[in-house]
Amino acid sequence: MTSIRLTVFLLLILAVVAVAGTVAVPDIYYRLWFLVPLGLLALNLLACLAEGLPQAIRKAARPFTGEMALSMPERGRFIWPADAAAAALAQEALGRELGRSRHEVIGEKEVIFYSRGRARPLGPYLVHLALVLILVGGIMGKFWGIEGRMLLQPDLDVSSFELEKPRKAVPLAFQVRLDRFQVFYYKEGGTPKEFRSDLRFFQDGEEKARVICRVNEPVTFGGYTFYQSSYGAMPQGSIILKASQGDKSWTLELPLRRWVDLPEGQGRIMAVRVEANLQGHGPAVQLGYRAGSEHPRVFWLLEKHPEMAEPLGSLRLALGPVKMQYYSVLQVKHDPGVWWVYGGFLLMLIGLYLAFFRPSQRWAVVLQRGKKDRWDGRLLGTSARGRETFVIHTERLLERLKKGAG
Amino acid sequence: MLSTILGAVTLLYLGVALAFLAAGLWVSPALNRWARTLLAAALAAHTVAILGRWWESYRLALGNAALTHFSEKLRLVILQAPLSNFYESLVFFAWCLPFLGLITFRRYLRDYLGMVVALGACLLLAYVSLGGVDSRIKPLMPALKSNWLLIHVVTCFLGYAAFTLGFGVALLYLVREKRPRESLPPLPQLDRLLYRATIIGFLLLTIGILTGAVWAETAWGRYWSWDPKETWSLITWLVYATLLHARLVKGWQGRRIAWLAVLGFAAVLFTYFGVSFLLPGLHSYLT
Ligand code: HEM
Repeated sequence: MTSIRLTVFLLLILAVVAVAGTVAVPDIYYRLWFLVPLGLLALNLLACLAEGLPQAIRKAARPFTGEMALSMPERGRFIWPADAAAAALAQEALGRELGRSRHEVIGEKEVIFYSRGRARPLGPYLVHLALVLILVGGIMGKFWGIEGRMLLQPDLDVSSFELEKPRKAVPLAFQVRLDRFQVFYYKEGGTPKEFRSDLRFFQDGEEKARVICRVNEPVTFGGYTFYQSSYGAMPQGSIILKASQGDKSWTLELPLRRWVDLPEGQGRIMAVRVEANLQGHGPAVQLGYRAGSEHPRVFWLLEKHPEMAEPLGSLRLALGPVKMQYYSVLQVKHDPGVWWVYGGFLLMLIGLYLAFFRPSQRWAVVLQRGKKDRWDGRLLGTSARGRETFVIHTERLLERLKKGAG
Repeated sequence: MLSTILGAVTLLYLGVALAFLAAGLWVSPALNRWARTLLAAALAAHTVAILGRWWESYRLALGNAALTHFSEKLRLVILQAPLSNFYESLVFFAWCLPFLGLITFRRYLRDYLGMVVALGACLLLAYVSLGGVDSRIKPLMPALKSNWLLIHVVTCFLGYAAFTLGFGVALLYLVREKRPRESLPPLPQLDRLLYRATIIGFLLLTIGILTGAVWAETAWGRYWSWDPKETWSLITWLVYATLLHARLVKGWQGRRIAWLAVLGFAAVLFTYFGVSFLLPGLHSYLT
């Protein structure tokens, strides 16, 4: 279960399946093709954690002692005069180059030693643990999370939202009211700048909260989070259509998406869609038109420029004033797994930092009385990874120590 | 004005690349020093061009708003960072290469490696100006108005740049292995350099993906939606995770790691260009 070959194999399978997902099979991520290798990988990770984490913790917790320092390989030698305050000098040199060191006397030897990056062995395991947390969070979201949409019209209380699959309404224990919905544009008819829903939440007939929901600024109430997702406009009441032919004219009322007969058997017409502001030209209605066995036609009719619509024979069409009302669409969500996922994110960054940017490195200066009572000094050190910084520090340290004698 | 600066910078990068090449061919430390100084100058001008665009973009946005508080202005400055469309992201991508080269890899920045950095920046900028990329400053759509935009995009592109460097080093490795050449750095050094570039890129890409997820959660209520860009960044991440495991656990080195870096870079390219042009999705504002 813990063979690295299996890991690499699973990682590559996941990558290949994910590629397939982006080019051909969009929802492959929820099928066995993806879930089985992902599950195996999770098992693999857990086995690897169970096997290695305790050992890594023990390794990180084991203190570095003077005794251990003595067993490191030698990196250089130097000699100091007999009257040098040797231990203090060595501590100063280590302090300048690296950081606070410790001092022990072992037999005749003065050992001054320094270590860093002891937590390094934890790094990979924290990364792996983080992956497990993220997977757990994702699974919690899938099983205990819920996500749907809510359509709000101004001043109408709503106390449920729509699930997408299966399509059904989920009741809420509170009411949401849209006081006002606004769209701001950079320029008339240009890119929208901001959508904003002014919301109020009610519970047991009492107002509990008054909030503003914008894109990128979700609001939370009663365990659910509400995101400004989109909006739409619908006509208030029926659409008034004025038709004229020569000196005759008629006024028709068009309910949305219902065929209405034109006068004198000139065919039938239907309002398909309404736009509050069609490409900056103001309110517009998309009409479907059908006469006899002709192929149906679809076209836009603008309130302000009726002449831009293609004429229907000798029939002229125009719109009465279209009064539009915006509605706001909110994404509604409850996901107990999000904090697990975020916890995983944090842990992963810490783990990556430890694993790659905190190489475990140790140095020691060993001092001993030699010939004529002068100090014989040796610099010892080891490094697991991070060879380059190790070599640089070691060289500079040796230079300092050699100079230390003055 | 800014496009003139960028045009000049493009040529300057080309000059620097040639200078590094010559330094490599004739083993000339003096030429290397010159090339490095010139590269720093080009990066400075490049930075000025980006800051200029930032200022312009901020001024345009300010035209639409009456802000008085310093904090509001600061927020607008952050939001208007020139990282919000394909053009701006390419210009920034090109900037990241010499930046990383001069800051993180300055000890190795000479000869052919210097050439890789300068040539990469030059090619990206040349594509910007010759490829007909739309350079107009457009107002931000609401979904892009987030403090996460800045850190998400900056980390992603710095990560891409580190992988690009890694790719260049991998190519040098493969070439040097076939035909040993004095002026190319020794193989073990290239191998270590490739590893360093990869871990830096991996950390940055990880931060990029994670901040993107947090942003998606605040904007749409979903930290992950298997949008093609997201999926491809995950694929890229998996390839580099494979490389790191092969090296850390299996002890692979040298040629096989270099080939994995080439594969990883192909995934980077597809994540950045392929997805934008070939696959539809949430990130399509980039085009
Ligand atoms: C894509 C995300 C990753 C997955 C799915 C993954 C999975 C695994 C698995 C299943 C193993 C096998 C454990 C064993 O053989 O005992 C492993 C080993 C290892 N991984 Fe990862 N890993 C991932 C990311 C990382 C990262 C980013 C690092 C870098 C810090 C890392 C470092 C290691 C190390 C050092 C080992 C060997 C540990 C040991 O032998 O005890 N992994 N990984």
